[in-house]
Amino acid sequence: MEKNTFSGIKHWWWKVLCMACLLYTVVMGIYSDIPKLNILEQSIRNLFFHVPMWFGMIFMTLTSVIYGMLYLNKGQIKYDVISSQLVTVGFIFGLLGLMTGSIWARVTWGAWWSFSEVKLNASAAGVLTYAAYFILRSSFEDDEKKARFSAVYNIFAFVMFFVFIMVIPRLDVGSLHPGNGGNPGFSAYDLDNRLRIVFYPAVIGWTLMGGWITQLMIRSKFLERKKIGLE
Amino acid sequence: MNQWKDTFRMLEKDVRLELRQKTSIAGITLYVVSTAFVVMFAFKGNMDVRSWVAVFWIIALFSATSAATRSFTKEATTQFYYMKFLVSPLSLILSKIIYNTLLITLLNLVGWLVMTLFFGSLIYNLNIFFLAVVLGSLGLANIFTLLSSISARTQNPVLLSIMGFPIIIPLISLLIKLSFLSGVTVGFEKDKYIVIGGLLVLNLIIVILSVVLFPYLWRD
Repeated sequence: MEKNTFSGIKHWWWKVLCMACLLYTVVMGIYSDIPKLNILEQSIRNLFFHVPMWFGMIFMTLTSVIYGMLYLNKGQIKYDVISSQLVTVGFIFGLLGLMTGSIWARVTWGAWWSFSEVKLNASAAGVLTYAAYFILRSSFEDDEKKARFSAVYNIFAFVMFFVFIMVIPRLDVGSLHPGNGGNPGFSAYDLDNRLRIVFYPAVIGWTLMGGWITQLMIRSKFLERKKIGLE
Repeated sequence: MNQWKDTFRMLEKDVRLELRQKTSIAGITLYVVSTAFVVMFAFKGNMDVRSWVAVFWIIALFSATSAATRSFTKEATTQFYYMKFLVSPLSLILSKIIYNTLLITLLNLVGWLVMTLFFGSLIYNLNIFFLAVVLGSLGLANIFTLLSSISARTQNPVLLSIMGFPIIIPLISLLIKLSFLSGVTVGFEKDKYIVIGGLLVLNLIIVILSVVLFPYLWRD
């Protein structure tokens, strides 16, 4: 029991790092000095909140695919618990990314949603794909079957999603996103040091927070399973 | 060697069953025709190339969904242990993919014919469009065969559509792009080759995924 008290928290350093990064992001994201760009103006600060959501989502879903593969190989239910909780958090990150993007688009493009925008549609498709993942899981009653089928779907969906966000936008003419098709933005020459010193900690901080939330959810899931006598 | 023999024997069995019981294939063909008919009423017979292409692929998507739903109905329930004993998962998935490709290609050709009858031929470059139809049918059959083997094991009939539609978007967007380019009179040669290459690579990825992942689904 002694190990579960505060002084016994294992690997606490990355949680401190996460808190420090996020505190820094929130303060510096609002007060830091930014380069002056047409159209974007102050809305460029969304870089510290919107873009890390996609980094977080990709990180969570990729990790969940790895755990899905582990489940298919080893057949231990713990891998499925981890994989499904990672998808849940990745899905929430995706929703937050869509929301922050939509609010930003209303200010910058003048519309909540743009149908000619490749990246926007790709991310919405990704969110829909993972919504179907939850419906699929709820369609099975048997735990083993649920785990196996959802792991297969997860792998298949992730590969298709990856094709969608990495390949299709490059085949299309242009994207309205900053830095694409001649729009001002944070592409290589624009992402100057003033943005970088906040952006990188933001990505690290938000991703670590996703990992932290997932860790808590996985633990509570294990406790739940223990309580009903499954483990 | 035995794998291939099994694959073609399964394929032959499916084709023979389909021909013996003609109602289901006639049903889906009628589905294509009546959907196009409804679209004709909605558009009142006037259509530009972009709408033509969009409507064509939406009809193709829905008919492919209803064609592929049936692919594992028998195998996943009553004949499951018999099939498992009889053939390897690889032969089974390959035979189903080939069968669905043939069926969906046929349905799409019917759809093309009906759309041409109702709205006139708006496609300029027929060879390219034919290639788009074949590659598109292959892709639709590929994706929906694997997903229908998942949904056949649940009691949820809409699962195939909700799993399939978001996943199918990359394929459909490439197909619409290629079809639209085939409606344009001249130029865009480089774009066409890039999109055809993209479709081939996408199909290859899906086949490899199906072959690797299906054995995990084919257990009890």
